[in-house]
Amino acid sequence: MGTLVTIEIVIPGETGDAPAHHALDRAFGWFREIENRCTRFDPSSELMQLAARPGEAVVASPMLFEAIRFALLVAEETGGAFDPTAGHLMMARGFDREHRSGATIHLGIQPAPDATWRDIKLDPHRRTITLGRPLIPDLGAVAKGLAIDTAAQELKPFGNFAIDAGGDLYMAGANRLDEPWTVGIRHPRRQDELLESLRISDQAVCTSGDYERRGADGRSHILDPRTGNVADSVASATVIAPVAMLADALATAAFVLGPVEGIRLLDRMGVAGIIVTPDLARYETGTLPHAA
Amino acid sequence: MNSPSDCLDRLYSLKMAKGGSNRKVANGLLAAGAAAVMAVYAAGYERTQSAAEQLEAQSAVRRPVARSAAVAAAPSTPVVEPREQRETPREVAVLAHPSEPAPVITAPASTPAKTDITPAAPVAPPAGPTTPEPVIPAPAPAPAAIVAAPTPAPAAPASQAAAPAAAVYKDGTYKGWGTCRHGDIEAQVVIEGGRIASASISQCLTRYSCDVIGRLPPQVTQRQSAEVDYVTGATESANAFYYAVLGALGKAK
Repeated sequence: MGTLVTIEIVIPGETGDAPAHHALDRAFGWFREIENRCTRFDPSSELMQLAARPGEAVVASPMLFEAIRFALLVAEETGGAFDPTAGHLMMARGFDREHRSGATIHLGIQPAPDATWRDIKLDPHRRTITLGRPLIPDLGAVAKGLAIDTAAQELKPFGNFAIDAGGDLYMAGANRLDEPWTVGIRHPRRQDELLESLRISDQAVCTSGDYERRGADGRSHILDPRTGNVADSVASATVIAPVAMLADALATAAFVLGPVEGIRLLDRMGVAGIIVTPDLARYETGTLPHAA
Repeated sequence: MNSPSDCLDRLYSLKMAKGGSNRKVANGLLAAGAAAVMAVYAAGYERTQSAAEQLEAQSAVRRPVARSAAVAAAPSTPVVEPREQRETPREVAVLAHPSEPAPVITAPASTPAKTDITPAAPVAPPAGPTTPEPVIPAPAPAPAAIVAAPTPAPAAPASQAAAPAAAVYKDGTYKGWGTCRHGDIEAQVVIEGGRIASASISQCLTRYSCDVIGRLPPQVTQRQSAEVDYVTGATESANAFYYAVLGALGKAK
């Protein structure tokens, strides 16, 4: 993931903060553990060990299994606009650097160029994952969302807290002023402007934007897995949902689908969202929690 | 009882059936995500069994409140001194609202936090605990009379509490974690010749020093079980140590 994670817990003034510190340790622990298992930038991660054994039914940890299972559900639901097997496409375009350390990774895996999410088979009873063809899953969106969600479970007893994982958020309860958290959505083109301000309580907010990491060719990194081309009809897609893993995956899918199909997807999923095109046209679901 | 995995499998079948409106499937994806999170959270990872999960497990293995003088299950063992009536252990995961006054002990200097912990303006605490998840069952009320039948505590049968039991463990060194409102305690138990040779506190992560329960580890060896004394003023830490020892002994079977 390579993201900076910040957590704020709001506790009443007379309460000791030791339990909060313990909960924070455990919450950060979830981020570390999920990253260790699900990263494709470390050949010894559980994910990459799976990728090294195409054709075999590999027993997976609950963490990896549920992440991939959910990713496949979203892939099916979005017709492949979201596809966790697009990793090799990203690598071909130069996204083979772990962006914290800058280290390049070389793998002994030759991914099949036309592999898709349909090439992954799961057995829930034995909890095995089988990669039908050599491929490199990319769990970036799903893993980060899952980490946010499990960290949020650790903090649930506190009621009021905020998790910020590199811009993907989960806000619970109320802020220190006892009001719903205010969340701004970054403007995709004007750095010191906000696109929108939202009031958020017990929801995740995740944004996919074309202003994030750029590849070696200077273009944004979000590809349409169905074509392999850059998805360029959207500048920024934001999703608000009770589960961060869902918000993260749908933000990516909506970005690829474009403004009209994207909003249609979010409506169908029962979540709120806003999509902005490169020429700054805005598309919203009817349910956006605008700040007053 | 449905596990999150069961719910997920049923959602899979729901999707495959594909009858009915899209809305069913749409809500299915949100529910599938929530179920996946709970499955991962419940599974935990290495020692970081989350506090909530541990507390739930601990309340399922509740310490017997009253120890029977007539230990019907083990007639050959000497009579245990009857325990004083004591309050039921309160294994409640309400971390933000202490329900009892804290003991007067100097709090350790706080370590630098990675984050802001922002005290809010004082707010009147709610009447009861804010609902944590998972829901912790309320502790059983203390029976007034001594119960002759063994209490239903699967990991601590009445016979085991009476005297060095014939419980046989596998030789080795085992560790377990117990948790309480003040933090976590790791206990280490060494088994030799099938019996408990020693017990110690290998990690004391409670905000109060573990000196206060210092006399408990030797009791594990003396009594050949986790059934150590309660400690007034340190109920929580004593319970955490008890569960940590239980956890360690559980691995030695």
